[in-house]
This record gives sequence, structure tokens and C-alpha cells, in this order.
Amino acid sequence: MNAIIFSALAGVVMMYSGIITSKKTVIKYIAAIALVVLIAANLLQVYGIWQISVDTRDMLSFEKFGLVFNTLAFTATLIYVLLSGKEIENAGVNVAEYFALIFFVLCGVSILSSFNGLLMMFLGIEILTIPLYILTASDKRNLRSNEASLKYFLMGSFSTGIMLMGIALVYGATGSFALHTNAPVALSATGGIKASFLEVAGMILMFVSMAFKVSAAPFHFWTPDVYDGAPGVFTSFMATVVKAAGFIAFIRLFEGHTAILGPTWKILLAFVIVATLLIGNVTAVFQQSVKRMLSYSSIAQAGFMLFALYSSNDMAKEGLLLYSVAYSLATIGIFAVLIKLKDYAFDDFNGLGKTHPALAFATTVCLLSLAGIPLTGGFFAKYYMLASMVKEGGPLWLLIVAVLFAAVSVYYYFRVIQAMYFKEGTPSVQTEITSGFKAGMVLLAILIILLGIAPSLVLNLFYF
Amino acid sequence: MSKLVYLVPLFPLLGFLINGLGRKSLSKTMVGIVGSGAILASFIVSLCIFFDVKEHGATVVNLFSFIRTESFSIPFAFQVDQLSSVFLLIITGIGFLIHLYSSAYMHEEPNEHFGRFFAYLNLFVFSMLLLVLGANYVIMFIGWEGVGLCSYLLIGFWFKNDNYNYAAKKAFVMNRIGDLGFLLAVFWLLFKLGTVTYGDVFANVAQLSTFDITAITMLLFVGAMGKSAQLPLYTWLPDAMAGPTPVSALIHAATMVTAGIYMIARSNILYTLAPATQTVIAVVGLATAIFAATIALKQNDIKKVLAYSTVSQLGYMFLGLGVGAYTGAVFHVMTHAFFKALLFLGAGSVIHAMHHEQDIRKMGGLKKYMPVTHITFLLACLAIAGIPPFSGFFSKDEILMAAYGKNPLYYYIGLGGALMTAFYMFRLYTMTFLGNFRGTHEQQHHLHESPSAMTIPLIVLAILSVAGGWIGIPDVMIEHGHQLEHFLAPVFAESAKLAEHHHLEASTEYMFMGVSTVAIIIVIILAVNAYRKYQDNGAENTGLGKVLENKWYIDELYDAVIVNPLNALAGFLKNVVEKSGIDGVVNGVGRLVGYGSRQLRLLQSGQVGNYILVMVLAMVVFVLIWFNDQTIMDFLSKIF
Repeated sequence: MNAIIFSALAGVVMMYSGIITSKKTVIKYIAAIALVVLIAANLLQVYGIWQISVDTRDMLSFEKFGLVFNTLAFTATLIYVLLSGKEIENAGVNVAEYFALIFFVLCGVSILSSFNGLLMMFLGIEILTIPLYILTASDKRNLRSNEASLKYFLMGSFSTGIMLMGIALVYGATGSFALHTNAPVALSATGGIKASFLEVAGMILMFVSMAFKVSAAPFHFWTPDVYDGAPGVFTSFMATVVKAAGFIAFIRLFEGHTAILGPTWKILLAFVIVATLLIGNVTAVFQQSVKRMLSYSSIAQAGFMLFALYSSNDMAKEGLLLYSVAYSLATIGIFAVLIKLKDYAFDDFNGLGKTHPALAFATTVCLLSLAGIPLTGGFFAKYYMLASMVKEGGPLWLLIVAVLFAAVSVYYYFRVIQAMYFKEGTPSVQTEITSGFKAGMVLLAILIILLGIAPSLVLNLFYF
Repeated sequence: MSKLVYLVPLFPLLGFLINGLGRKSLSKTMVGIVGSGAILASFIVSLCIFFDVKEHGATVVNLFSFIRTESFSIPFAFQVDQLSSVFLLIITGIGFLIHLYSSAYMHEEPNEHFGRFFAYLNLFVFSMLLLVLGANYVIMFIGWEGVGLCSYLLIGFWFKNDNYNYAAKKAFVMNRIGDLGFLLAVFWLLFKLGTVTYGDVFANVAQLSTFDITAITMLLFVGAMGKSAQLPLYTWLPDAMAGPTPVSALIHAATMVTAGIYMIARSNILYTLAPATQTVIAVVGLATAIFAATIALKQNDIKKVLAYSTVSQLGYMFLGLGVGAYTGAVFHVMTHAFFKALLFLGAGSVIHAMHHEQDIRKMGGLKKYMPVTHITFLLACLAIAGIPPFSGFFSKDEILMAAYGKNPLYYYIGLGGALMTAFYMFRLYTMTFLGNFRGTHEQQHHLHESPSAMTIPLIVLAILSVAGGWIGIPDVMIEHGHQLEHFLAPVFAESAKLAEHHHLEASTEYMFMGVSTVAIIIVIILAVNAYRKYQDNGAENTGLGKVLENKWYIDELYDAVIVNPLNALAGFLKNVVEKSGIDGVVNGVGRLVGYGSRQLRLLQSGQVGNYILVMVLAMVVFVLIWFNDQTIMDFLSKIF
């Protein structure tokens, strides 16, 4: 409860901070402090020291998994604000509002990590999404930003409709919004679990809607357009913290209910995973803009995260936390560098290795992590995903396909490394690069490598 | 004290890091102090450990878990016992003297390369210590590979010379061939016993069939052949002379080549249970001893003679191992380390004085210019020739006596080799130090004794070469004279129980000693007489002499039989198989992905209507699959 209350409060505080001061930097620091407070408040609840108790009539339940995810998400946001704060300041006029919206998104994240009923889940998703529509359009005079926002809104509404329809059907079948009452109804004669038509149909609709949120194929179409059109600094946020929260909600929603869906569930999920990996990885190969490449890469990474849903055992949940952290940190790092460059083309990175060796090194580590090279966090993230799938008895060919697509991903990630180190040129750095930023990036790289050497750092959080 | 054993390899590792990272900024003095000091510190700890072991016996020190799986675990543990503590003393003691010597010998190198040299030396010693200390075959293998790497780095130290690089590569490849044998043996052990820890392996040898033991020991021996330069994998060692002379001393005396001996002595129980392998080892060792000695007879490069002499002496050690005289082999490792280090450092001193001239035909008469080098070199020659009471006499005698007990023929052939050893060593000595100087006038002008940093190690080693054998005086001469044997007895206890004992009559033993000593002295006199008045008349060797000078044409043989066919095969694979086959497939995959990317991109039309249409269609398909179409279900469930 601490996380939900404090993030909402922080959002309100941020809105008023715009009235008190017009200095953008001050607002940024207020946001950073608010984040620290938020993390501290959440940690207090994680360790069971102090928490605000509100009777939610079992609509929310605070488990360690969700609370740990909150901590990780808030920390990732803090790193994001520290690294890309300058760009948030410059994204538009109303800086205080942007930070306020980010905190409202975090409020949605906290709800999604603790909902115990369909209604709360719906609320969480909407609280999470609506600020994003606005953030996408924050570059008001830019036509592409507006277009992206409108597209996002149109398709988002469509998916919300589907979600609501699904919830309505499930409610009709079971008479409850609660997650854990719609457990298996009866066993059929053949030993399979028989659930009512309405309930299964409702689940399918919710699945479609959630697949849309996490940009799984073939419901991913909004992702490249929106990520590409939105201001880079907000794309970074959307592609990381928000996406990870979507997965947490996804796995919380379906965990323990897949039996109702029957064996077809796994087949269709495998199809969705393969389609997501295929479209994400293969389409990314041809992109000419790093930003657009990264949005396809986020689809590809979503394909990997879907394995957690496929196996949905304890290992998968641990792995998903690790994946969220490894993927978010790496993506935040790359975007932090990317948005300092003039446009988002591969050529912009030419010669970065010579002019900014520290930045190039950190970016390389981030890219290696995304590609899943050993000694970076990304390797163990992918490993846990695949291992949990194997543990659950998933088919071998699925594993091979996943690994092959991971190999394809090396191609487009390494194009950036190639540009940085093997091509001549002067990178067009727009914003001034402070030594603090460099130090931050190097620390980020070290953190990613640390995760790659001792993934138990994150996994132990889950157990301790 | 044994608990602190990790300090022994830690110091050289730190030395390596400091010198390696600071090679550009540290001064030469500093580098020398760090490099030599690290080994000295290790030596002091090793001494303490030695006395601790002598007092309290052996222990295994567990540091941390290195590899752990469900079915087996490999701890990172150190074996502190009699055998390893003796080797620790040899490695760090002689290693330190060589480091000290190098700080003067390498002084002409530029700052950065000086630091690099010492970093490599320290790493070399570190690897060797790891090899010796490891309490299982995997840790040993880490050191085993480490010394291989370091020898490569040091032989090719002057990397601007292509020939030196070639020699370095040769050493590395030859060693890799042996390493493969070692690795297979380790896997075999792991497969059969589920453990590679010495204690567990030796306790459970009974579970292995004769075939397994023979195969494992043979494979391990292949590893030893590579590392300890035995037939047919010895050719890298003479070429390794390309490295700076202290490196040769280090490789030949303190590290690297003794690794094979150590490994077999460590695994003595396995070998005792595999008599077939023992016979192979004895025969290979003996053949190597003789073969290398014949080549050494006709070499004119001062370091080459010493190199072949090492190969030959290693042959004796393997003969000892093969006939079950493990103590004798370790004893010979020790004495050989003393006098061979001395010989190499002495040769280095000569080369230093002669401005990098290594051809003994152009030397002569150095006696009066370099008194310390001369005396110490002479003592080393007497030691290696096996004149009592110098150290080499006792160790070689012990091996030959044991060989006689096994098969008298071994003894006679071995004695023949020993006579050749005496001959080529004194040929070398005479041509270098006696007679008249045959070099250029300018060289003669610059002849000088080396600085004290070089002569002090020579003197220390000379004392050891003379007196080092006295810890192993045969029991027939002095009751309980063989202190080394009593010290090492626990390590070889199991083997000693199993092995058959041949006790020679004391009178027989005295007779053999007398005969061999007299024969050796006669050979020495012959050699000195033959070469005292040597003049370089430019005459080519003919007949057998030419064959020997060209090392039996073994390198040429390997080139013709192995290297050239392999090169041809590689050329075929490169030009035909790869160009037309593999490249096509690989590039084809790349092109396919690129094509797919261009096509899939078109799905992203930018029209929201299209997007939603596809989503709805997918949704409809999902619902259909779930509820209606049994045929689709059947079809899909067949695939998945």
C-alpha cells in the first residue's frame, strides 16, 4: 500500500512544484528526492517495518514478489531520471507535469504488482496507460509525436474495450471479480478441466488485451509507430519500466489459471512467442534508425519474457524479475546515450568509441546485455527464461528457435558497436555530456556486468 | 602454517599484476624488486611450509568450491604434502635466483619490455605453483595450461623476430598435443570415478579395470611427453632457446619440463598398477635419453647443447619413473634443477660477455676472462657428468641402479647415455673455456666478468650443485643417508607396498659405481684432449656426424609427414569447402534474414485500420482454434 499511496502523493506534489518554482533543474531534483522517498517507503513495507494498512476488501494483496518488483521498478526509474533528467527538462514546457505523469504511471505499476481482482487490474492498467498517451504527445509542435499519441490512444482504447469485454464475460461466468475464485470448476470425464464457454472466452479476450499491452505479435503493431514517434526520453521509460509492469500483470493474471484454458493454451502461446520473436528480430535487422530498431528489439525482448508466462513456475518468476532489471537497465542506458545525439540514425554513433570512450564502453555493455552475451545480466536473464521453459517440459524446438532468434539479434545490436568503434566520423552530440553522466553510465555498465557475474544479487532479493 | 599455503602462489600473481599493469610507469629497479621480491616471499613461505610438513605431515587446504554440479564437485584446494613441498622449494628457490639474475641480464631492454618480461616470469612461476599445489587434476590442469601459455609468451618474447615467433608457436602446439592427452585422461577419470581429487582417485583405484588404468595412465603420459619434452614431442624444447637465456633456465630447471615428472610421481599409484604403461615410459625415457645425447654430441650452439642435454636428462627421469624409482626421479629433478639452472645461467653469462654470440666454435679461452663463470660452469659439468661426490652422481646412480633391478639392459644403455653426457658436456666446456680465443678482436676486447647480480646466483647454484646430492646418499654408503627418500616415503608408500623389490648386493652396487665413475673420467679426459686445441677449420661434418648435427632430420621428417599434409588439407578446406560450401550457406542465411526483414517491414503500414484488422483476425483465429475446429486442433497437437 505504501507504494501506491506515496507514488500518487508524489504525483500531486510534482504538479504543485511547477507552481512553486519555474527552475527546471529544481523540479528534477524534487522528483529524484520523491523517488528516493518512494523507494524507502516501499522498502519499509518489503521488510515489514512499517506500512499503511487500508482495508481493500481483498482487492489488493501485497506479496513479496510484487513488492520486490516495485523496488526494482522504482530504482530503474530513479536511474532513468538521473541519467536522462536533462532530456526530460528539455522535452517540452511543462516539466513538472511530465514528472507528475511519471509518478502516476508508477502508481499504476504498484497497483499492477498487487491487484487481487480483475477490477483492480483494470484500474491499474488504465492509470498506467493514460499518462503515457499524454507523455507520447508531449512534443506538442511535432506532428509525429501527435500522430503517435493519437494512434496509441485509438488502439489502446480498442484494447481496453476488449479487456472490459473479457472481464465482463468472466464475471458473468463466475459472478466474481476476484482472481482466485474462478479456479477450476469441475473435472471432465476425460480428466481434463472443463470450464464454461463464457469464462474461457473471457480469458481469451483478456489474453489478447494483455498481449497488446506487452506488444506481443500479432498485437504489436502500435509499438514501432508509438515508440518511434514519442520523444526519445519517454520511449525509454515506456519500453522499460512500463513494459516490465505489463509482464508482471500478465503473469499475475494467468498464473494458476492456465488449467482452465486447456492444452490449447500452450500451443497458442508458443505460436505467439514464435511470432513475436520472428517479427521483432527479423524486422529490426533492416531498420535504419536506432530508435526504431530499439522499438523492434523491445518486441523481440517481449518474446523472450513471454517464456515466463509459458512456464509460470517459480524459476520463471525469478527469471522475469531478473529479465526486467537486466533489460530495463540496458535499454535505459542506450536511450540515455541515444537521445544525446542529433537524430537517431546508426551513423550518428560513428566514431563514438574515439571521442567518448567511456560512453562507448557503457553503451557496448548495454548492447551486449540486450544480445544476451555471457558476463552481462542479459545472459542470465535469457538463460533463466529458457531454463524455466525446459523445466516445465516445453518443446525442444521452441528453445532452438529462441536461441536462433537471439543470434539474429546480435546482428542489429552489433551494428551500433560496429559504428562506434570501426567507423570513422564525429558523433553529433547535441547536449553537453557532463562527467557526472559519464560516471553514471559507467556505473550502470558495472551494474550490468555485476548482474552477469552474480545474478543471485537480484534473485536473492526474492528469497531473503 | 600450511593454512597459509595460498600465499605461495599469491605473491607471484600480485607481482605479475603489478609489473604487468605498471610496466610503463615503474622504473627498472622497482620492477626488479617487485618481481624478485614476490618470488623470494614465496620461497620464505615455502620454507616454513616445508618444515611444517616435516613436523606435522600432509594436509589438504580447501580454499573454495571451484565447480559444483549435482553429480560431482571440484574444490579449489591445495595439496600440501612432502612431494609438493619439495617442488615448492625447487620452484621458488631456483626461480628466485633466476629472477635476480634476470634483473641484470635483461637490463638492456627498454623499460616497458623489462616490466613485461618480469610480469611473464612471475606468471610462469605462479602457474607452476598452481600446477604443483592443486589437490586435483583440474587445478593441476589450470597450472598445466598456464605454464604452456607462459612458455609461449616468453619464448616469443622478442616478438619482432619471426623465427622466434615460430619457435613459440611450435612450443605451444606441441604442448597442446600433449594437453589433449591429459584432458582426455581427466575426463576418463571423471567418467569412471566421478571425482578428480587426488585423495579420492587414489583411494578408489580398485574400481578401475586394468584397461581403464592403462588407458588413463597412457593418456596422462602423453601429456607428460609434451610438457617434459619426450620422444616424439620433444622438438619444441631445443627451439625454445629463442627466448632470453634466463627463460631457458626457468623452463629447464624450475618450471615447465618438470611438470610431467611431478604429475607422474603424484599419480604413482595409478602407474604402479599399470605395468604396461611403466614399461612404455621406461623405454620412451631411455630412448629419449640416448637419442638426445647423440644429437648433443654435434651441436655448436652453446644453448642447443644444453637443451638437448635437458631432453636427455629428462629421459633419465622418465626411466626412473618407469622402473618405479619415484624417489630417484624426484631426486634427479632436484639435482638437475640445480646444475641445469647453473649451466644455463653460466651460458647466459658467457653470451652476455660475448655480445650475444652463441656459437662455441667462436669462443675458447674464456677461463681467464671470466673466473667465476668458469669455475661454477666446471662444477656443473662435473655434476651432470656424474662424478662423485657431486650431486648428479647420486641421483643418476639411484635411477640406474633401480633400472638394473628391473632389467640389466636398461642399465647398460643408460650407462652409454651417461658416457655420452660426459663427452658432450666436456666438449662444450673445453671449447668454451679452454684453448685460445677464436672470436673477433672486438669481442675479445670487451670480454668481462658479469656483474654480481649474475654471479651470486651462479655461486649459490654451484654450492647446491656440489652439495645438493648429499641428502640422497645411498643407504649402502651411509646408514639412513637417503634423507629425501625417508621424507618422501609417505607419498610413495602405497606404490612401495605393491612394487617388487630388487635389492642389490652392496658389493655389486659399489662395483657398478666404480666402473661407471672410471669410465666417465676416461671419457672426460678424451673429450678435453680432443677439443683442447680445437681450431675452426670450416670443415663440414660428413656421414653420421652430419646427421647428428642436423638432429637426425627429425624436424624435416615431421614437416614432411605431418605438417605439410595438414597444410595441404587446410588449404583444400579453405579454398574449396569453405569458399564454395560454408560461405554460401552462411551468407545465404544472412541474405534470407535480410530479405525477410524487408518483407516483414511492409506489415507495418502505418494505417491504424490495418493494424486493428490484423488484431481482430488473430483474435478470431484464436477463438476458432479454441472452440471449434477439431481438425486444426488435431493437426496442431501433432506438431507441438
